[in-house]
Amino acid sequence: MPIQYYIYLALSLFSIGVVGVLTRRNAIIIFMCIELMLNATNLLLVAFSKMHHAVALASNTATQVGIEGQLFVFFIMVVAAAEVSVGLAIIVMMYRNTHSVDINFLNRLKN
Amino acid sequence: MAITHIIFWFLTALALVSALMVLLSKNPVYSVLWLIAVFFAISGHYILLNAQFLAIVNMIVYAGAIMVLFLFVIMLMNLDKETEPQKDIWMKVAGVISGGCLLIQLVRLAKDAPEMVNKTALLKTGSIGLIENLGKVLFSDYVVPFEISSVLFLSAMVGAVVIGKK
Amino acid sequence: MNAIILSALCGVVMMFSGILLKNKSAIKYVAIAALLVLIIGNLFQFYGIYTIDIDSKGLLSFDRTGLFFNTIIFVATLAYFILSGSDIERAGPDVAEYFALIFFVLCGVTILTSFNGLLMFFIGIEILSIPLYILTGSDKKNLKSNEASLKYFLMGSFSTGILLMGITLIYGATGSFGLQSTTIKSAVTGFSSAGILAPVGLVLLFISMCFKVSAAPFHFWAPDVYDGAPSVFTSFMATIVKAAGFFAFIKLFAAKSEDFGPGPAWKLILFVIIVATLFIGNITAVFQQSVKRMLAYSSIAQAGFMLFALYSTNDFTKDGILLYTAAYSFATIGIFSILTKMEDYSLDGFNGLSKSQPVLAFTNTVFFLSLSGIPLTAGFFAKYYMLASAIKGGGSLSLVIIAVLFAAVSVYYYFKVIQAMYFKEGVAATNTPITGNFKVALIVLAAIIVILGIYPTALLGFYYF
Repeated sequence: MPIQYYIYLALSLFSIGVVGVLTRRNAIIIFMCIELMLNATNLLLVAFSKMHHAVALASNTATQVGIEGQLFVFFIMVVAAAEVSVGLAIIVMMYRNTHSVDINFLNRLKN
Repeated sequence: MAITHIIFWFLTALALVSALMVLLSKNPVYSVLWLIAVFFAISGHYILLNAQFLAIVNMIVYAGAIMVLFLFVIMLMNLDKETEPQKDIWMKVAGVISGGCLLIQLVRLAKDAPEMVNKTALLKTGSIGLIENLGKVLFSDYVVPFEISSVLFLSAMVGAVVIGKK
Repeated sequence: MNAIILSALCGVVMMFSGILLKNKSAIKYVAIAALLVLIIGNLFQFYGIYTIDIDSKGLLSFDRTGLFFNTIIFVATLAYFILSGSDIERAGPDVAEYFALIFFVLCGVTILTSFNGLLMFFIGIEILSIPLYILTGSDKKNLKSNEASLKYFLMGSFSTGILLMGITLIYGATGSFGLQSTTIKSAVTGFSSAGILAPVGLVLLFISMCFKVSAAPFHFWAPDVYDGAPSVFTSFMATIVKAAGFFAFIKLFAAKSEDFGPGPAWKLILFVIIVATLFIGNITAVFQQSVKRMLAYSSIAQAGFMLFALYSTNDFTKDGILLYTAAYSFATIGIFSILTKMEDYSLDGFNGLSKSQPVLAFTNTVFFLSLSGIPLTAGFFAKYYMLASAIKGGGSLSLVIIAVLFAAVSVYYYFKVIQAMYFKEGVAATNTPITGNFKVALIVLAAIIVILGIYPTALLGFYYF
């Protein structure tokens, strides 16, 4: 499968995530859109890893080139899991005090 | 059209439609469910790319653990109504336009990229995504970052306790 | 490797000290002792006496600059613990956990000074950020703290998303996460050569790092977060964490470009960002009534000066960033330690401080003079090295003139505080009694700043010998 298709798909998912972050007001949904962005990069990393693997495979059949891309994805998942646990704790803490997850509350800080 | 192509396009369409629905759903619970659909579609892509380990981890960690955590929080907060106040319509338009510009710009650049011409991602074959190979490399060459990420988990754990405690 | 392992272990020790010790100030002394162990361990590696040797398969590499930067950071943290330790005790019920989180942040710092690839860079950035989200929100009942935490968190993870996309595109173009030779180098020079994806990825990486170090136009979260966080943790965030972010930024973009200068397009981007950062930071700081918020904007302005190290990479840069980190961190930690003792954070709250607390007023003056870069203080040579590197880097005189102009603006708003302390009538109330030890610590810190201002080579001497 041409790598371009994967690039377009991942960039589309990434941009959808960015639009979500910019347009939604619910903190949880914004956070979910960030997760969507992370997943888009994960998909692209795996596709690139297989692309580099395909190039290297042509000269050496036992090559492991490209495996670092998949390991990076593994570490991104590790980090995302840690981030989610902290992020949801913060959102719950905020909800306890304001009974809302609307990020427009954040504008009060400016005053 | 080979079967892999059909699967590829089906999964791509599923991922994009579900991602859009995450954005468009008014009800946060539906957003979570659509996001789970995106994750399954991406897992499907991983299987197609023969990255089996990541496909399974993606399903277990993302779709299984993380999204269920999201769902719990949303249920806990009783946000399953359409409670989100509407943002200013112009803000939405501005957000969509800037996101669209980002997409168009990035896609245009990627389209012209000479280093990506005639490159393909290997489907179905290639053994680097198998758990045996990944595990060997992870616990030999990448053992230092693997151990260091435990610091990350420790701090996340301490943090969640500090923040979550009454 | 010493510092990475010891800082993680110190964090664990602090976690358990919360169970074993009920006395809050005992926890503080444990933290100071742990930090001393950390400093000694790091110095052991710096002087090559003993190093815990773990083969990281090329993912980490330790050089003298990084190790020396670690030492500066640890000493600044020591000053922070000594001066603000009692404020951490009062910040909330989970004192031991706060210290543990601070040690985890230090672990992130040590990774950021020694990473040798984008993977460790990414993990370091995350270990640095995640404990900070929590420290920002540690004042759980305070709505402002909650909001600051949420804002910081959402902005931080959003920029992480951009960072990852940048890393991915660079990987796609070059096929490696390494820093050496190919990756960054081909990406930087790639503006003119055939590749496209690597420079695009590098720009995304650059944007996300600007987010993290709060350079304009990606600075908008910083004043709110610094203002909303408990003051004692703002002090830590605005100094140590920011300096570490800069070090990583510079290491990522410039360390490998010693043999080639960044291209012209690159310089133009940096030029615009530096001017915007200096402009927004300084001009907005003039209009602030709250000293805490003014310091938040001034930290953005100082970021503009630190970006000079990125603009030009030569011998002066390395000295400059080390000296700037020391001067800026020490002064700001001192100011914040006094600020947290004040009843009222507004400018009027400082009225007449010279009458009631002459020592505090005097040392505070020294710190502010250092921040504004007056000669005979460390801040002067820090700024001098930065500007000198820009001039040596090749004829960017206009940028230097702009920077000097904004430094003059900064003198104005720093002097407003000094004026309030010395020339205005009022009763500057403190919220806790000022102890003698605190005063002695402040005087020592002020003395260090003056000594560094007279003999900047005192600090750099350690580095070269």
